[in-house]
Amino acid sequence: MLLSAIVFLPLIGAIVAALVPKDRAGIARWLATVVTAVDVVLVIFVVLRFDVGAGMQFVERAVWVPQLGISYHLGVDGISITMLLLSALLSLIAVVASWKMDTKPTTYFAMLLLLEVGMNGVFLALDFVLFYVFWELVLVPMYFLIGTWGGPRKEYASIKFFLYTLFGSVFMLVGIIALYLQTGTFDMTAMIGLGLPATFQWWVFAAFFLGFAVKVPIVPLHTWLPDAHVEAPTAASVLLAGILLKMGTYGFIRIALPILPHAAKQWAPFITALAAISIVYGAALAFAQTDLKKLVAYSSVSHMGFVMLGIASGTVEGLNGALAVMFSHGVVTGMLFLIVGMVYDRTHTRMIEDVSGLSSQVPVAGGLLAFASFASLGLPGLSGFVGEFLTLLGAWKSTVPAGWVVLAAVGVLLAAAYTLWMVQRVVLGTPSHAVADIPDLSVREIAILVPLVALTLTVGLYWNSLLRFTDPAVARIVALLAGA
Amino acid sequence: MTGVGWFIPEYLLLAGALVALFAERIFRREGAGAAAGAAFAAAAAIAAVAIGVRPAAFVGGVLELDQVAVTVRVVLAALAAVYLLWLSGRGMGPERSREATALVLLATLGGMLMVASRDLMVLFISIELATMPAYVLMGYRRDDARTLEGALKYFLLSMTTSLVMLYGFSFLFGISGSTSYAGIAAAPSAGLLGGFAAVFVFVGLFAKISAAPFHYWAPDAYAGAPAASVAFVSTVPKLAGAAVMARLAALLTPGVTALPTVIAIASLASMLLGNLAAYPQSDVRRLMAYSGVAHTGYMLLALSAGTPAGNAAAILYTIAYAVPSMAIMLIAAEEGTSVDDFAGLVARRPAVAWAAVVFLLSLVGVPPMVGMFGKLVVFTATLGAGRLALVLVAVVMSVVSAGYYFRIIRAAFFAEGRAERIAFSLPAGIAVGMLALVTLALGAFTGPLLKVLTSAL
Repeated sequence: MLLSAIVFLPLIGAIVAALVPKDRAGIARWLATVVTAVDVVLVIFVVLRFDVGAGMQFVERAVWVPQLGISYHLGVDGISITMLLLSALLSLIAVVASWKMDTKPTTYFAMLLLLEVGMNGVFLALDFVLFYVFWELVLVPMYFLIGTWGGPRKEYASIKFFLYTLFGSVFMLVGIIALYLQTGTFDMTAMIGLGLPATFQWWVFAAFFLGFAVKVPIVPLHTWLPDAHVEAPTAASVLLAGILLKMGTYGFIRIALPILPHAAKQWAPFITALAAISIVYGAALAFAQTDLKKLVAYSSVSHMGFVMLGIASGTVEGLNGALAVMFSHGVVTGMLFLIVGMVYDRTHTRMIEDVSGLSSQVPVAGGLLAFASFASLGLPGLSGFVGEFLTLLGAWKSTVPAGWVVLAAVGVLLAAAYTLWMVQRVVLGTPSHAVADIPDLSVREIAILVPLVALTLTVGLYWNSLLRFTDPAVARIVALLAGA
Repeated sequence: MTGVGWFIPEYLLLAGALVALFAERIFRREGAGAAAGAAFAAAAAIAAVAIGVRPAAFVGGVLELDQVAVTVRVVLAALAAVYLLWLSGRGMGPERSREATALVLLATLGGMLMVASRDLMVLFISIELATMPAYVLMGYRRDDARTLEGALKYFLLSMTTSLVMLYGFSFLFGISGSTSYAGIAAAPSAGLLGGFAAVFVFVGLFAKISAAPFHYWAPDAYAGAPAASVAFVSTVPKLAGAAVMARLAALLTPGVTALPTVIAIASLASMLLGNLAAYPQSDVRRLMAYSGVAHTGYMLLALSAGTPAGNAAAILYTIAYAVPSMAIMLIAAEEGTSVDDFAGLVARRPAVAWAAVVFLLSLVGVPPMVGMFGKLVVFTATLGAGRLALVLVAVVMSVVSAGYYFRIIRAAFFAEGRAERIAFSLPAGIAVGMLALVTLALGAFTGPLLKVLTSAL
């Protein structure tokens, strides 16, 4: 019941929040805060009771459509628990970060809560149909979050986001059905280790690849991302970058590798090449950006490339690294988007040329932006380093062409360069006109950043705090890959 | 005679049609007829549930109530009841609604007899009973030239294709010497003659449910007709048609093995033409007419599998299509029939706007709405029969469909529109609310629905 509660509590919250009268928006805000906070508590409870050595835990199962072998099946393992924690935490932060939302606040908070239902559900579902339901459910609130509360090009960005992702996921649906026809069930756990025919695996992997790669996104399927990130309101950007992108890589790790291990090996060189290109291309584009949010958006493309690099390597180090980058990127990019949003609230501009000298005018904001930037570029001791190091190590040890790994390593240097250049222009220097009179961060704003700072330091200084959860689960996947 | 009582739902609809015509003499209020009709239709649905499956033959085997017939007739009567409930609150614009009520009930009666038919002659008469009222409903606005043009087009084309279908029936009779399904099944109509017969029959049915390339009447007829008429005509008769097609396909495929291929071709044409032609439409009725062609294509996709699972999926899909599609046309009847009329809907009627999102996303196939489960069973059945290429076309086309359905959502949510709202109507609100609830929740009951639809056709 615990996992169902984690998934569906926000749904109840969303329904109630939507029904709150328009002039009593405070109720919706507090409701959203309480619901997301309770969800965080429940998730922490699961984390504390979690047995790192065991496989799927807290499993819930009920028959749904017996004719087609569809069941309501939830469970959590070392891979999903890290993502679940991130999802619950960032949802709470997104709600608190939107405290001053005054355009249609009741609908806004209802949408945030509905989004959490989909996100939590994706990471817990163990039945393909249920997974697909949650996967698609995420699109709807995000469409409205971007479309209603977004920037000037919100309508274009929201429909582009929706259609792009829908395009990918319908192919995933075909892949899911093909798997069902081959195995007679929609249960993910029952499909593992069946030794499906090689050609069949290759084609199904192709279908899943389309679905997941759009979401990650992997170059050249990434063009929806800068539009969506830039136009989305701050909280939606945080969740989009922090959680929604991870759904794609989570899909690779949860579904594509264990169920289609043979195809995963065949596809690995191709994915490695695309991953390396994503890393360098994303970094190169980040260099050219004049808009802070766009810079962070393109840096996401680059960072998600590292995740794909680790996944393609198929090694223990690479997969652990991929999960570490996923977690770290969720925390750090969340922080970056939040700070950029806070600065934008004060200066009403995100242009790098208009914002400078934050450290002398608003030392807290400037300091935290610098901190988040260092974490993002992979400074040892902060969380970003863990994953980038491990993915490169894993990729180097694996059988994928070494040239692509070298290219990916160049991406690390590029990341350092564009991030430090941004810090130099925005944080240092003399305060620009727009920055001249702005106040520093409020207590609420600092409070939502503190947990993220703490996680960045914890994971960065004590890697095992994260890896002890992921390592046993990763070892099982690597064993499956080795057996294929 | 046994079984007279099994057709109480049909008697109720007939009685309801007569009562509706005269109810306003007693209650002196516009809409009383529709309200009475809704009550009778609801009673018919409940009676149909209570009577349940009666596998024994009735009157020499011309009618039979198997699992599929019962399921479809319950859904038909329930949909008609919800529709009439809406009509009792909103009416037919400037025209009286009581004749419309009677026509709707008669058309529903025809639909219910269609699915129970076990004889070609009874089937033909039932089909005519279901479509005759539809001609009048489509031409309900007597003083509008465009309405009459559309209705006439519909009438002429429908009559022509009815005759083609009847011609096909005559061949089937000639081959087997019987008009009963059992007789036809006993003497499979194989060979060239059987092929001609089957194709003639299906051309007639394709036209009735507006499958390409026999769909040309639909956009013109819909665009001329009152939106409230379209809401009924584009959904309820289509469901009966889909069930009959599933039955006839199961009956004729053993002899005519190429029939699934014929259906697959019509499916491909419908999916491509419907979705691509819906894209540039600015009138919701035309948009829904073309999207209806597209959804017919998905339904035919399931039929083209030529398996019991495919036939069940076809009927399930049509239910999943009919509910949200009727609701969207009802909202269009309230708000206006141009896409631009939906502008600003969320500001003036937020609940209706969010209900419209539920309906439209269901039509796209986004979970957790019922449309996604419809697509899931359709694609599963079709892929199971090895038609991968068609399924790939179908999934790509469902993304295209999102493009045009979202134009309505964008207008409703992101565009500035008029501020004045139409008067609140409790019956209409309940009707749209019920349709929204069914669209949202029916997906969870895919299992039971599949079970009742998978029994032998």
